[in-house]
Amino acid sequence: MSNKLQPKDLINLGLFTVLYFVIGCCVAIPVGFVPIFLPVLGALWSLVTGIPFMLFLTRVKKFGMVTIMGFLSGLLMGLTGMGFWGVPMGVIFGFLGDLILKSGGYKSAKKSLIGYAVFSLWMMGTYIPMYFMVEDSWANFAASFGEEYADKVMAAMPMWSMALVTGGIFVFAILGGLLGKAILKKHFAKTGIV
Amino acid sequence: MNGVSFSASIDKRKGITLDPRTKLLLLLTVTTLMLSTSNEGLMTFVKPCLSLVPFLLILSERRVKTAGKYLLLYAVCFLLERIALTTLSGLLSFTVLALTSIMTRFAPGIMTGAWLISSTTVSEFIGAMERMHITEKIIIPLSVIFRFFPTISEEYQAIRDAMKMRGIRFGGKNLLLMVEYRLVPLMVSVVKIGDELSAAALTRGMGAPIKRTNLCRIGFRFQDGVVLLFCSVCVGLFLCQQFMML
Repeated sequence: MSNKLQPKDLINLGLFTVLYFVIGCCVAIPVGFVPIFLPVLGALWSLVTGIPFMLFLTRVKKFGMVTIMGFLSGLLMGLTGMGFWGVPMGVIFGFLGDLILKSGGYKSAKKSLIGYAVFSLWMMGTYIPMYFMVEDSWANFAASFGEEYADKVMAAMPMWSMALVTGGIFVFAILGGLLGKAILKKHFAKTGIV
Repeated sequence: MNGVSFSASIDKRKGITLDPRTKLLLLLTVTTLMLSTSNEGLMTFVKPCLSLVPFLLILSERRVKTAGKYLLLYAVCFLLERIALTTLSGLLSFTVLALTSIMTRFAPGIMTGAWLISSTTVSEFIGAMERMHITEKIIIPLSVIFRFFPTISEEYQAIRDAMKMRGIRFGGKNLLLMVEYRLVPLMVSVVKIGDELSAAALTRGMGAPIKRTNLCRIGFRFQDGVVLLFCSVCVGLFLCQQFMML
């Protein structure tokens, strides 16, 4: 088996990126309406997407797939209007996730949980404007949801909460990974898909 | 935006033919500018202009009904948004704004994206990306993504119907179980589709060591020039506005 990415890998990569993105959005869009929930959005996202990602990992055997997935997810985020910070963050954390997974030979259960959690940190990219360009994003929220919403969002996200958001994503990603593994074991192991 | 309209073919093409690269640039311009913060000055003219873009594109394909629906919905939301921003306040203002601003800010981008997918064949898309010298590692997943968004919604609808027949619906007793009953079949079908797609791609010579050729005529024509000019004017005006604010 060669170590280069084959078209089969790349096609699977595309499919799972769509699945990852669509499932994430199904959760994120309704929740995102409530300003107080915005900080937990990333955590919730990584909890749910743990299920498709664990299935994706059973198809990943080569270095680079998680990196490309991070890049593409960031790109999709950008195109759907969540800002393009996801692209560099996706590449960085995708690459780190790839490194961790590779160190476990893409087989180790523990490494795959940690790798997924690290990969999920790319979601921080969508939070960057809210923390570092406060004025801009206040205006952004005010323009689309009214000034009261903007005030509430910004009040819910002081600078110190960034550590909480990051930690939340990490912890919930691990829980999501465990959930994904459980579902995989329940449904997919029997049918021979995994 | 039903599943049928997503299948693009070369010979039965109606409407304006644009280079896929021009389409991508157009999509990028529409999404980034429509979602930008500024709502005053020059942008009050640029934004409605940009929101007319998908209308004209869909109209040029003679899908009058879809185009009309979009225009009507957009106009209503646009007016409501103005009213909510100026006169209403409190919870009412928030509800109206949240609903309408989704429409006014996201709909033009989504419609342009849907048009891009429905009017571009995969071969054309891949051909254009290869001209841009993008690596195969990005091209293949990206073209799968573009093709797959409509498929996943079709699959999901089929699964939902099947679950409905068995009396499994949202709002039932166990929310987690509801999610599981939908997610798991969806993932199984994704895996199956993946295997089929890769078999199909291999028979079409994807991943062969030689360079792929295709029949699509890809190149910039007169209409591409017009669109490019339009995009650069919009972006130029946007940048002007940003500098004036500083």
